[in-house]
Amino acid sequence: MRPTATAVLLAGVCVGALLAHRLPALGALVVLLLAVCLRAGRRAKPYLWGTLYSAGFLFLLSPFLQSTGYHELWTGPHVPVLGTLDVTSEELRLAGLNGLRLAAVGLAFAVYALLLDHDRLIAAATARRSVLAAALATRLVPTLERDARGLVEALRGRGLAPQGLHGHAALLSPLLAGSLERGLNLAEAMEARGFGRPGRTRLPAPPWRALDALGVVGAVVAVVVGALWL
Amino acid sequence: MALASLTGLSFSYPDGGLALDDVTLEVEPGEVLLLLGPSGSGKSTVLRALAGLVPWFHGGRFVGRVEVAGRDTRRTRPAELAGTVATVFQDPEDQVVLGRVEAEVAFGLENVGTPPREIASRVADALEAVGASHLAGRRVTELSGGELQRVCLASALALAPQLLLLDEPTSQLDPEGAEAFFAHALDAGVAVVLSEQHPALALPHADRVAFLERGRVLLDAPREEALAWLEEHRPAWACEPRTGPFHGRRGTGEVVCRVDRATYAYGDGPPALDGVSIELRRGEIVALTGPNGSGKSTLAKLAAGLLEAQGGSATREGRATFLLQDPGRYLVRERVDEEVELGSDSARARRALADVGLAGYEGRHPRDLSSGERERLALATVLVTEPDLLVLDEPTRGIDPERRAQLAELLREQAHARATLVVTHDPSFARLVADREVSLAPEREPVHA
Repeated sequence: MRPTATAVLLAGVCVGALLAHRLPALGALVVLLLAVCLRAGRRAKPYLWGTLYSAGFLFLLSPFLQSTGYHELWTGPHVPVLGTLDVTSEELRLAGLNGLRLAAVGLAFAVYALLLDHDRLIAAATARRSVLAAALATRLVPTLERDARGLVEALRGRGLAPQGLHGHAALLSPLLAGSLERGLNLAEAMEARGFGRPGRTRLPAPPWRALDALGVVGAVVAVVVGALWL
Repeated sequence: MALASLTGLSFSYPDGGLALDDVTLEVEPGEVLLLLGPSGSGKSTVLRALAGLVPWFHGGRFVGRVEVAGRDTRRTRPAELAGTVATVFQDPEDQVVLGRVEAEVAFGLENVGTPPREIASRVADALEAVGASHLAGRRVTELSGGELQRVCLASALALAPQLLLLDEPTSQLDPEGAEAFFAHALDAGVAVVLSEQHPALALPHADRVAFLERGRVLLDAPREEALAWLEEHRPAWACEPRTGPFHGRRGTGEVVCRVDRATYAYGDGPPALDGVSIELRRGEIVALTGPNGSGKSTLAKLAAGLLEAQGGSATREGRATFLLQDPGRYLVRERVDEEVELGSDSARARRALADVGLAGYEGRHPRDLSSGERERLALATVLVTEPDLLVLDEPTRGIDPERRAQLAELLREQAHARATLVVTHDPSFARLVADREVSLAPEREPVHA
């Protein structure tokens, strides 16, 4: 399937997941996306950790920020602004739904970032500048990961290995400065290579096949099924 | 008529002093002009001016005139000059836009409006011209630094430019890789303006040489005349002994580091090191050499304790520090003095900065320094810790010959205090600094010299 069709299908799956409201269906979708994601091997690690942490955090936090349902499972202290902390079975279900929705969206993004050929996606795009910007932003995750490893290694080489959360948090500023510098260098190189000049052409793309059309139909089906039956 | 000319060009970056001061240069069609000069002398700014990036991309104060193929760069955007001019920058990782080799080489061709039916054949021709046809279809993230630099060169040559600008393009390559790069780039028949810190590699290919210092052109002459001038006025630039003896002083102090039949592999890959041994004694400097991919950096990291040997052993006595490749990327503070004080105190930090020629830079932001200055700052950050074992991975990248000689002198002055292992591609620096050489062959059998 060509990357454009796959990207449309993944977008459809994301929308379907956000509209779905049955825990087993969402759980199955997350497992399916996880299985696809694991095809990327080790490269999937930062995406999986990021998705798991975010979804887990949302699941743990959201029951305390809602006041829904009548079947109380636990009642806690009164906290100013938030009121009395409690957890109901309805809140737990909603937290599970939100956590799984976030996990599905995160994993769909991981599949897009790890397994799609972004060059072909850019080549086929009508809004080339926007798609190129999105593709470059996608590359930020592995670049940041590599820079972070280099930074830790450089500090270890100086006998200054960062310790604990505070030590690692101190690396965020140089990491950000480094990625901004990379961004500027890349922008300069792109300008020198004629990016943004009117009259650009593109490599001829292969024609659409039945499988590509199936991907787009699948995206529509995912949205409709997610909204009506899941 | 000149293909490109700079006439009375003076330029200051928005946040800096005068980068170019009344520079006048001309480039004839098909000519190879070599730009030499210390770090921060304005070589890269000349290249940026010829590409139109100065002042369009960087801003700043621009006085004078730059013309390329009859077009005034102040009236022509860099993107419009693309195709007539093509640039290969110093760091290939910072100029690669797309994910696969063929798409990357096609990127510029698409931007300048090459007819679609011609793009594929021109990509194939450009890759073949730089000896990289076998890389077509590969992901750029899988390529070595040398392979990536060739892809960047192919991207530039695919445009069939009249003027090719090369900004220290071989700084990450071993001597063989650099020779191959020059053979492909400089024999393509287009006019080339090349900035280089290793004149020995580039001089044989140059038709003319310009020497810059503090933004001014001190010399602009044909190669033979320039060689005579360099020998008289800047001997470090004229003569780089690529062969010859090492200092030959054997370390007589205690063993500071011993790597014994060490093996190491990254992930599930083939072994990067397989049964390699090395011994480093206090008082000696050892140059670790070998081609790209021979395992030099891995052995250096094992010696410094940044990696654990998977087989065999690596032991150390006392404090070990390691300066990794491209250290300028990994500076963490916002002032030069704070960066160096991080592992020590302010008095030692000032001394270390003076040792590497950065006295007076204390209040600057590390990221405002040139690449050569950053390398020296990073060196100060490890020297300040006064280690028992000092491991330097390619410490001369982006550093000019005079600074290289000073660095060698500094390391030799301090050699008695520690064991020093220097990983280097630079045969002249190895001979300047080291007592002996340990060479890793591609098959990773160490050969001692």
